[in-house]
Amino acid sequence: MAFDTTQLIPLLPEIILLVGVSLVLVIDLMVTDKERTWPFMLTLFTLLAAGCTTVMLADGTTQVVFDGTYIRDPMSDILKASLLFLAVPVFIYAREGLMKSGQWRGEFMTLTLFAILGMMVMISSNGFISLYLGLELLSLCLYALVAFNRDSSKSAEAAMKYFILGALASGLLLYGISMLYGATGKLDFPSIAQAVVGKESDIVLVFGLVFVVIGLAFKFGAVPFHMWVPDVYDGATTPVTLLVGSLPKIAALGLAMRILVDGLGELQESWQMMLIILALLSMALGNLVAIAQENIKRMLAYSTISHVGFIFLGILAGSDEGYRAAIFYVIAYAAMAAGAFGVLIALDRKGLEVDQLHQLKGLNEKHPWLAGTMLLLMFSMAGVPPTVGFFAKLFVLEAIVSVGLTWLALVAVFFSIIGAFYYIRVVKHVYFDKPTDDVEVEVGGAAQVMLAINGLAMLALGLFPAILMNLI
Amino acid sequence: MSVEKFLFYVFAAMLIFASVMVITRRNPVHSVLFLVLAFFNAAALWMLAEAEFLAIALVLVYVGAVMVLFLFVVMMLDIDLSEMRAGFMKYLPLGIGISAVMVVELLMVVGPAYFGLDKYAAPAAKAADYSNTEALGTLLYTEYLYPFEIAAVILLVAIIAAISLTLRKRPETKYQDPSKQVTVKKEHRLRVIKMEAEE
Amino acid sequence: METIYLTIVLAPLIGAIIAGLWRNQVGKAGAHWVTIIGVGISCVLSIYVLLGFTHGDAESQNLSLYTWMVSDGLRFEIGFLVDQLTAMMMAVVTFVSLMVHIYTVGYMAHEEGYQRFFSYIALFTFSMLMLVMSNNFMQLFFGWEAVGLVSYLLIGFYFKKETAIFANLKAFLVNRVGDFGFILGIAAIAMYTNSLDYAEVFEKSAGLANEQITVFPGTSWSLMTVICVLLFIGAMGKSAQMPLHVWLPDSMEGPTPISALIHAATMVTAGIFMVARMSPLYELSETALSFVLIIGATTAFFTGLIGIVQNDIKRVVAYSTLSQLGYMIAALGASAYAAGVFHLMTHAFFKALLFLAAGSVIIGMHHDQDIRNMGGIRKYMPITWITSLLGSLALIGTPFFSGFFSKDAIIESVHLADRFGTNYAYYLLVAGVFVTALYSFRMFFLVFHGNGPRDEHAKAHLHESPWVVTVPLVLLAIPSVVIGWFTIEPMLFGEFFKDAIYVDSANDVLAHMGEGYHGALGFVVHGVMQAPFWLALGGFLTAWYIYMMKPSIALDIKVRFDWLYTILDRKYGFDELFQFVFAGGSRMLGKIFWKGGDQFLIDGVAVNGSAHGVGWLASVARYLQTGFLNHYAIAMILGLIGLVGWFVILQ
Repeated sequence: MAFDTTQLIPLLPEIILLVGVSLVLVIDLMVTDKERTWPFMLTLFTLLAAGCTTVMLADGTTQVVFDGTYIRDPMSDILKASLLFLAVPVFIYAREGLMKSGQWRGEFMTLTLFAILGMMVMISSNGFISLYLGLELLSLCLYALVAFNRDSSKSAEAAMKYFILGALASGLLLYGISMLYGATGKLDFPSIAQAVVGKESDIVLVFGLVFVVIGLAFKFGAVPFHMWVPDVYDGATTPVTLLVGSLPKIAALGLAMRILVDGLGELQESWQMMLIILALLSMALGNLVAIAQENIKRMLAYSTISHVGFIFLGILAGSDEGYRAAIFYVIAYAAMAAGAFGVLIALDRKGLEVDQLHQLKGLNEKHPWLAGTMLLLMFSMAGVPPTVGFFAKLFVLEAIVSVGLTWLALVAVFFSIIGAFYYIRVVKHVYFDKPTDDVEVEVGGAAQVMLAINGLAMLALGLFPAILMNLI
Repeated sequence: MSVEKFLFYVFAAMLIFASVMVITRRNPVHSVLFLVLAFFNAAALWMLAEAEFLAIALVLVYVGAVMVLFLFVVMMLDIDLSEMRAGFMKYLPLGIGISAVMVVELLMVVGPAYFGLDKYAAPAAKAADYSNTEALGTLLYTEYLYPFEIAAVILLVAIIAAISLTLRKRPETKYQDPSKQVTVKKEHRLRVIKMEAEE
Repeated sequence: METIYLTIVLAPLIGAIIAGLWRNQVGKAGAHWVTIIGVGISCVLSIYVLLGFTHGDAESQNLSLYTWMVSDGLRFEIGFLVDQLTAMMMAVVTFVSLMVHIYTVGYMAHEEGYQRFFSYIALFTFSMLMLVMSNNFMQLFFGWEAVGLVSYLLIGFYFKKETAIFANLKAFLVNRVGDFGFILGIAAIAMYTNSLDYAEVFEKSAGLANEQITVFPGTSWSLMTVICVLLFIGAMGKSAQMPLHVWLPDSMEGPTPISALIHAATMVTAGIFMVARMSPLYELSETALSFVLIIGATTAFFTGLIGIVQNDIKRVVAYSTLSQLGYMIAALGASAYAAGVFHLMTHAFFKALLFLAAGSVIIGMHHDQDIRNMGGIRKYMPITWITSLLGSLALIGTPFFSGFFSKDAIIESVHLADRFGTNYAYYLLVAGVFVTALYSFRMFFLVFHGNGPRDEHAKAHLHESPWVVTVPLVLLAIPSVVIGWFTIEPMLFGEFFKDAIYVDSANDVLAHMGEGYHGALGFVVHGVMQAPFWLALGGFLTAWYIYMMKPSIALDIKVRFDWLYTILDRKYGFDELFQFVFAGGSRMLGKIFWKGGDQFLIDGVAVNGSAHGVGWLASVARYLQTGFLNHYAIAMILGLIGLVGWFVILQ
């Protein structure tokens, strides 16, 4: 296909981001300011500009450019826009935390922006090659970020584990991709979709599918490919955990949708069963083990695993309703997770991270705003109406019930009830226990305002879920 | 059996042999050297498949650059072999068991039943003046332009990540700053103290 | 129009939020200004909407603004249904609310929690507007519960006072009983019509008129009767009908302005409004209407009797409210919905007036509420006196006053109605007129006439209340006197409610009455020749004779009819019955369930047992996370082998 520059228009958000990150990289070398105000402002500006561009480009149509390697469609628009806009609070919280621990370096901004670029590439990939490259771009940044706290051996260990397991998962994914390539001779999703028609039980296809699903499951952190999640969440410094725990889930959903729905939609019967197994294991193990955690970062790690189970439920419904529910869930979840880690960051003190549950005791007496935010976030994660978490769960359950998987919905509800325990335990600590120390909570203005908005958004979207649902 | 086929089996066997040696050698330097051997065999296999450019690239990049660097690192690091071996025997039975199951499962799919020559006929040989390099280049800069650009970004990230993880100022290290050295003034070094003359 | 409706609803809400959340920033003056402006905007716009219906050519509007969610075909929406009935309610609610807001500035001037109070009453106005403007059952229920919540908060406004806490808990619990029926009714509607939208439900309900359902095995009930009775149980709770009336007198623990606004003029009439709004449903069930009629008439008479023996000025008015609510309910039961709503409107004005006047007296008496300590206040508080007089005259149904038209219309329509229980209801209602006059003027004479306050200290400080208190009194007195004269024709016999209220032609007693109607004057002339007028006069004269001429008679009667006095003073023993039998019984049941069921079975076995089980599982499962990289990798490979084995090899 002949190249003309109009092909670049759908890529504008990515281009803006890449230009922005390059500028940040260079400008950061020149600033002497400890707060790095200019690069930070530029970062936020880049994100907002890219986000607004995405919104402006979104017109409900589908565009495929660059010889079928890049796609822009309504799904990519909503995922990318939420990704970019959610990145703003993530950066604000992360800055707060890194400044407290004296690690506020320019590399955090560049690496995180590159990670976001990787996620966007994944979401917009129309073939295995760009998908895999996006995934690696993201992963590489995350490996480096997990080890960001260079003085902590815990971080280094976590990064090492993440890196090796990630490489293993990448290997499995690539192997699966090669099998699919072997069976179909194609690498772009539309052609694969055509090639697999009528070959639902082709053993090579299913074989490849298993490997690809494992690659996905690793990225999401679904049981039994979840082992990295608690160690990375715990090992990384909280601002990095905040990043790892929130935005990549959106990209992972994009990844799953591209491969399973765009590419291998015909094999739905097979992958549905695989996802059911993974979802059940994730919900069961995630919720159960979270109860036993005293470390709140590990607890949130297991909670992520259980939420992944729910997201899988939405995908495996295999209906339009289910996909929309999954997208709704993942966006809501990313916002909740960002807020929850944001609260932890706000509680951090100079050089000391808050990561134990008992450190939250009596928060309401120390800082009612943060306590209220935490309450909303925890209720939302537990799925208590009228927070958005309730609707996220409700839409997913509705979707799977309507495709006849009522038993699965019942199991999911059962595990959610178990899960509610540990979220509400946090609320209990925050509101009903006496503080164990009298250290003042110091939190910057921007982070505090952003957290309040974040918490209230959970409530607002719960009261008016249609605002978000109608966009999807 | 044609010569090509014979060569294929020879190289393939050596490739597998070298790979096994990589993970079983006690001395890491030996492992690295066997890895080099494995790369050479892989390159040879590609050569047989008429992928000359890739074969040369593999040798140049991996053997010539990556592995040499790797060798340096391995030789410079003081690796305690006995510690690394400690868990080996303990996990060996489990490892063998799992590998065996894995291999069986793989063979059931990745075998002649699904990947035989009847399913995948060999592509027709290209003309003698067909340039592999040119074809690759053309593809990379047209059809695969977008992935190619992303790959470039990945390399950039790799550089940034590596620097970010390793470059640091250690307060205890002493180092010279030439610009400071040349701009030094007398006052910086010399202090004139006036003292009462002693009788 | 949509913007106007939204403004009407949201202006008080914004006021409430500002006054509530930023109470320290806005200060006292800021709090009352922001809420008064909010409610003022609502009031002006509501009157504009109402004028659109009376003088303009406004059409009734059914707007769906926002779909909250759709679950299995059932739409949960937020929307407005604005027709004549709604417009009238909106105007009454916002007008009375505005008056109360202004009045509160004077009444609460020296109280703690000033901003909190304004925030609550503005929030109440919002909730009440949501209730009356709703076009679906979900929003109706929201408003229903929201007004209940605000009522709960306001009854317990003096939350450091034991009795206030007891009263608000009581109100809350009794309302739960009603709401239980109400939500069951809504559930039944949703189940059989698969819709929550009024218009759709009414449309479908006609087809369900002959539906029979089995509630208990072996019985067959008319579906419509079940639905209507269940909904009416909700109304009984909210509108305090026997036997769920016990919370209303106790609610007088709250500050007087809210007694006027919530517990007299607006919230308690929500039940009447709801039944009128549901007239298409009620018209399908004779049985339910008879039930409504009997409950209403019983409440009207028997609670009025209690009012005679009360000594707390606010409680007298509260019992009078109960009795008047009974009249409205009885009108509904006679299919004279318009008459009920008409009385609702007139009552809102004169009862709010009486409450606010009582509040004015209470201010003067430095929060002494016992009428036995008062007397002769007329001299000190002339405006309060004259407005109280007007309000009382309206209440007892003096010809030409607003109460006369509405009450006469109710009694007449019950008389004309033809269904089970009408005779019983008619006699009780007529007798109630005498009782009403008796307790009203007993209170009036004891408070304003006779010898001055016994306490010399109180006497020295007695003076007329400030203008913020008296202006609302005067403004409320005007409609209390004249509104009946001007509105009886369109509301009862005209076309005003034609689209809003549906009455089956066979039941249309008002139309029957309308045949003999020849103008308001004719109505008065006709009324003067009827028993109710003479009974009211009799009540008035009796009160005058006993309390002005020969106060000793009162004591004499009290001693001679000690048994009757005891019964009335104990309020027929409802409180005791509820407290000992229901509250005590349910506490005992609760204890049994708590000890046996909860502590042993649920806590011990189910919760703690499963919690321990889960905890144990969790502690075992966490050991999977060994921290060793090779274990992790093996877990992944095992997962891979498992999946490949399942999907590839076994297939």
